[in-house]
Amino acid sequence: MQLPAGSHALETNTGLDNRKLLMWLFLASECLFFGSFIAAFLLYRDRNTVGPYPEDMYDIPFTSVSSFVLLMSSLTMVLALAAIQRGDMRGMRVWLVATALLGLSFLAGQAFEFTEFYNEGLSLDQNLFGTTFFVLTGFHGAHVSVGVLILLSLVDASWRGKLTEDNSLTVELAGLYWHFVDIVWIVIFTLIYLIQPQ
Amino acid sequence: MENPEYLIGIPLVALALLGLLLAASLFAVPAEEGAGAAVARRRHPGAHPEPSEYVVIGLILAMLTAVEVALYYIELNQKLLIATLLVLSAAKFGFVVLWFMHLKFDSPLLARLFATGFVGAIALFTVVIATLGASLI
Repeated sequence: MQLPAGSHALETNTGLDNRKLLMWLFLASECLFFGSFIAAFLLYRDRNTVGPYPEDMYDIPFTSVSSFVLLMSSLTMVLALAAIQRGDMRGMRVWLVATALLGLSFLAGQAFEFTEFYNEGLSLDQNLFGTTFFVLTGFHGAHVSVGVLILLSLVDASWRGKLTEDNSLTVELAGLYWHFVDIVWIVIFTLIYLIQPQ
Repeated sequence: MENPEYLIGIPLVALALLGLLLAASLFAVPAEEGAGAAVARRRHPGAHPEPSEYVVIGLILAMLTAVEVALYYIELNQKLLIATLLVLSAAKFGFVVLWFMHLKFDSPLLARLFATGFVGAIALFTVVIATLGASLI
């Protein structure tokens, strides 16, 4: 049986590496996790009895740049995978570090945005917009933070010789997680930031 | 929200570094990764795309994001704007899932697994919007 690229020749019922199957199962459950928070945001966004309101808070140009940074980090991540698959370990490390830096840049932007919102009177318990906004984007930021730690641990493992060309699936799994975090932000950016009620 | 101007420099520096890395990578592709190898790999079932394809997808994603932001500032009919933004967002979602996450090239079982969660999330969304009074408009 022909195994997909990145799979190891393990004897499984599906012909796929169980780790990859488990990662996709995890990502499927994460769809529901973030779907619930986004639905809650849309439900409660317009039910505030006190301000501040979404239209007073967002800085679209700033968030657009942050979104672009995260989107490009997906490109560097997939280039890291391509590098290890062709045996270019140095290239893989460079792209992984680039991905981590772009992720950190996104997190810095989010930290700034949260601080500004808080200074302008929006807190977790100020109103329903604040609660649902901070919970949704905060959980997303936590996922990005975990992703950055995974990326840096891969770079470290590679430096110490524990991550070799034969372990490309490990990088692929980290990449799947990272890309998922990116697609969640694609949805958040559109539904939460760009589409605003009249 | 007012930003100090220097702050926008952080992501811009990160993007400039990314541009340099991409430019450098064009000169770092080994000889055996030429067009012949690319064609051979493309014909191999389950093979992943070439780095150049990834870069093209990345550029398309960047372009779609720019269009989204531009649309935000154009005085469009609200319903048309929402529909367009949703289509563009879905396109970006699709490009990342199909190419960067390789669902287009990997086992259909993985696609079905992910689709289960995704359809569940869409169903949840629809129920909330239809029955509890949430609205995009």
